[in-house]
Amino acid sequence: MRKLIVLCVLLALIVPSGSMMVGAQDGNPFEGMSPEDLFPNAIDDVERESAMAALLAANLPDARDRFEGEKLTVGVLASGTRGVISGGVYFWREAFQAVTGAELEIIEIPFEQMLTTLTIDFSTNQNTYDAIINASWFYGDYISNDWIIPIDDYIGAEGFPVWEPEKVAAPLQQLLTWGDNWYGVVNDGDAQMLYYRRDILEDPEWQAAYEEEVGEPMPVPPRTWQQVLKVSRFFNGKDWNGDGDPDDGISLHLKVGGQGHFHYMALSSPFAITPAEGDDPRAVTKYDNIYWFDPDDMTPVINSPGHVAALEFLKELAATGSQSQFGWELGEAWDNFLNDNAVLTFSWGDVGSLAQDPNQSVIQGKLGGAPIPCSEVWYDRELGEFVEDAENPNCVGNLVGASWHGVISSRSNVPELAYYFLAMQANPSILFWNVVYGWTGVDPSSLPHLFPPAGEATVEDYVAAGYNADDVESYITAYGQNLFDPPTTLTYLRIPGTPEYWNILDIRLAEAMIDVLSPQEALDAVAEEWEEITDDIGRDYLLDIYRESIGYSPE
Amino acid sequence: MKSANRARLIFLLPGALWVLCFTLFPLVYSLGLSFTDKRMGRRTRPGEFIGFQNYQDIFQDNRVAEVMEMTIFVIVGSVLLTVVLGTFIAWLFNHEIPGLRAFRSILTLPIFAAPIALGQLGMILFNEQSGPINHMIRGVGLDPVYWITDPWSARFAVLIVDVWQWTPFVFIIVLAAMQSIPDELYEAARLDTSSAWTMFRRITFPMITPALGTVTMLRLVETFKILDIPYTLTGGGPGVSTQTYSYYIYLEGLRFFDMGYASALAYLLVITAIIISSIFFWRVRHRYDIE
Repeated sequence: MRKLIVLCVLLALIVPSGSMMVGAQDGNPFEGMSPEDLFPNAIDDVERESAMAALLAANLPDARDRFEGEKLTVGVLASGTRGVISGGVYFWREAFQAVTGAELEIIEIPFEQMLTTLTIDFSTNQNTYDAIINASWFYGDYISNDWIIPIDDYIGAEGFPVWEPEKVAAPLQQLLTWGDNWYGVVNDGDAQMLYYRRDILEDPEWQAAYEEEVGEPMPVPPRTWQQVLKVSRFFNGKDWNGDGDPDDGISLHLKVGGQGHFHYMALSSPFAITPAEGDDPRAVTKYDNIYWFDPDDMTPVINSPGHVAALEFLKELAATGSQSQFGWELGEAWDNFLNDNAVLTFSWGDVGSLAQDPNQSVIQGKLGGAPIPCSEVWYDRELGEFVEDAENPNCVGNLVGASWHGVISSRSNVPELAYYFLAMQANPSILFWNVVYGWTGVDPSSLPHLFPPAGEATVEDYVAAGYNADDVESYITAYGQNLFDPPTTLTYLRIPGTPEYWNILDIRLAEAMIDVLSPQEALDAVAEEWEEITDDIGRDYLLDIYRESIGYSPE
Repeated sequence: MKSANRARLIFLLPGALWVLCFTLFPLVYSLGLSFTDKRMGRRTRPGEFIGFQNYQDIFQDNRVAEVMEMTIFVIVGSVLLTVVLGTFIAWLFNHEIPGLRAFRSILTLPIFAAPIALGQLGMILFNEQSGPINHMIRGVGLDPVYWITDPWSARFAVLIVDVWQWTPFVFIIVLAAMQSIPDELYEAARLDTSSAWTMFRRITFPMITPALGTVTMLRLVETFKILDIPYTLTGGGPGVSTQTYSYYIYLEGLRFFDMGYASALAYLLVITAIIISSIFFWRVRHRYDIE
C-alpha cells in the first residue's frame, strides 16, 4: 500500500513535467524535447511557451526521412542571436533541425557588406549559401544573373510547411515576385509610417499651448508633412517630458550608410509623384507615378523641382530634432524616440512593436501611429509647376525598406531543404509570433497581421502577446491604412544596379543634410552619377526592365 | 656542394612560393585588371582590354577630387603630429623619470590594438551625446563638439585616433635613436650651455635625423593607406567628408566590384607613394652626401 502511494506521488510529479516535453508519442520529431531544448535563445518562459504553442500550431510535416544528415547554409543580415532579422533565424533553428534532421548553419552578413559578400560568392562560384534572407532591392541583380530560382513548384507542394502567398498584403506581393513567378517567401513587410506620442499630442494643455503659439489647433495626428513640421517645430527644444532638459521634435537616422535615403523616399514621394487622373490613379504614364527615371529614356527625374523641394523640406524637418541625427543609424534614432526624447518619428513597423518591449522602450501605452503623411504642395511634371492644395493633399504610399525575405540560390544542392526552412518561417503561426516580438525585426506583412477590413487580426491577438491595446490599435490600424489606403504608391526600384543608384543617393543626400551641397546641387550630382551607371549597365537593357517593373507602356 | 645548394633551395622554396603566390601574382594580376573593364556581376563588362581608359577616368572622376581633400588632410596632419609628438615624448622619456619603464609600456599599448578596434573605441569616445570627450567639454562650460556630424570635426576625430595609434610607433623608434647618442656629447656640450633647447637643436636633432627620416617615410606610406579608422569611426561620413583615397578604392572594388577601375586607382596610389618616398629618400641621401 505504501509502495502504491509512493508510485502515485511519483506519477503525479512525472506526468505534468512529462507533458511539458513535446509530443511524447511515436514518430513526433520533437519527441523528448522540452521548450528549453527547442528555444535556447528565449529569454523567459512567456517567450518560450508562446513559441512552443506557435510551433505546435504550425503542424510542420516530419521531414527527417528526406533531409536527415543534410546541411543548410543560410545567409542573413548580421544582427546577432537576438537581433533584427537574424534573431528569428536563430530562434527557430533547433526546431527546424529537429523536424528535418538537417543541420542549419547561419552566416551573418553585415548590412553594408551584403551586396559585396553575395556578389563575390556567386561570381567566384563559391556558392556558400543555399538560401538568403535578402533585401528586395537585390532582385534586379539576382534575376539578371540567374542567381536565384523561382519557387512556384514548391508552393503548396506536399511535405513542406504551409504558408499563404495569397494572404501576403497585395502591395508587398510584388516584392516577392518577378514577372509571373514567385521567387521570395514572405517574412518581413516594410513601409514607413508616422509615429507620434499620443499622450503628449492629445494632452489638452499642450494642445492649448500649441494653438496659442502656432495660431491654429494642433492636428492629431498630423496628416500632412507641413503639419508634421509645425508640430515638430513646436515641441523641439521644449521640455515636454519633464526631465529638466530640452527635448526633440523629431528623431531621424541620417548618417550616410544609415538608411537615411529611405526617409527621403518616404517623405519625397508626395512632393514628387502625381497620381494619374481618371479611374486608376496608379496608372503609370510619362508624367504620372514616375519617381526615379523618365520611362521613355531613363533620364533621372531625381533632380526635378518636386524632389528638390522635398529635400529642402527634409532639411527643415531635420532641424527640428537633434543635430546628432546626422550621425545616427536606425537603432539610435529609434532609441531616441522609444526613450522619451522625441515626440515624432517616421519609420518602419519595428518602432510599433519595440515600443511594447519594456527592455527597449519607456513609451508603452503612449504610442500613436498614423499613415505616412501627404503633402499640401507637390510638383506636377506635366504642367511644369507646383500645385498647392491643403484641403486635398497629395497622398502617396510607400514600401521603402528591405522587406527582408528568403530566396533560394540557383547553386544550392539542397533547394528543397532551403524551401522547407523558408516556408517554416513563413508559416502563419510562426510568422505571427515573429511579428509580435519586436526584437525579431519582422514587421507585419500579411492579412493575418493586420486589422479588418483588409486584414484578419484582432487587437486581442496582440494584447495576448503583451501589447498595450490602445497602442496596437493605433499602430496596426495605421500600418494597414499605410499599405492599402493611399491612392497611389511609390514604385519600388528593383532594376539591376539598384544598390549602386541608392548608394549614390544616400551619399549625396547626406551631403545636402550637412550643407556640404545645396539640395539642388546634391540631386543634380545624383542625376549625373545615375546617368553614368545607366550607361555603364546599358540604357536600353535597363529601360525595358524599368518599364516592365513599373508597368509603363510607351504610347 | 650540390647537397648544400639543394638545402639552400629547399629552405628558400617556401619563402619564394609565398612571395610568388601572395605578392607577385596579385601585383601582376591587378596590374592586368587595371587595363580591363572587369566588373563582377555585370555581364556587359566581362573584362575586355581597354588600354589606359581606367587611368584616364581617374582624372575626370569628381569623387577622386573629393576624397583627395581628406587624404591630404590626414597625411599632412597625421605625419606631422605623430612625428612631432612622438619626438617630444621620446625626448621626455630620454630623461631619468621615476616609473619610466611602466610609462613606456603603457604608452606603446595603442600600437598593438587593431585600427578597427580603435575606430570602435573612438565611436564611444566621440559620441556626441554621451561620449566622455563631449562630457568633459560640457564640464568646462563649452558647447559640445559634433564630432561625427560636422565634416571638419569628423575629420579631426579621425586624425586624433590615427595620431593616438601611431605616435607610440614614432616614440619607440626615436627614443631608441636618442638612447644611442653617446653621453659624452651631452657632457661636452654642458660645458658651453645649459639650455636644453640648444642641446636638442645642436646634438639630439642632428643625431636622430636618420631615424626621423625613416619613421616619417614609413608613416607617410602608412597614412596613404588609411581606411580602417574612418570606416569604423565615421563610416566615411558625414556625406563623404572622411572618405580617403584608400576608402574610395575599397568602395569601388569591394562594394561596387569595378575591379578594373579599382585596380587602376590602387596602382596610381602605389605609383604616387613610390614617387613621394623616392623624392624623400633622394632628399635624405642628398643631405647626407653633402654633409
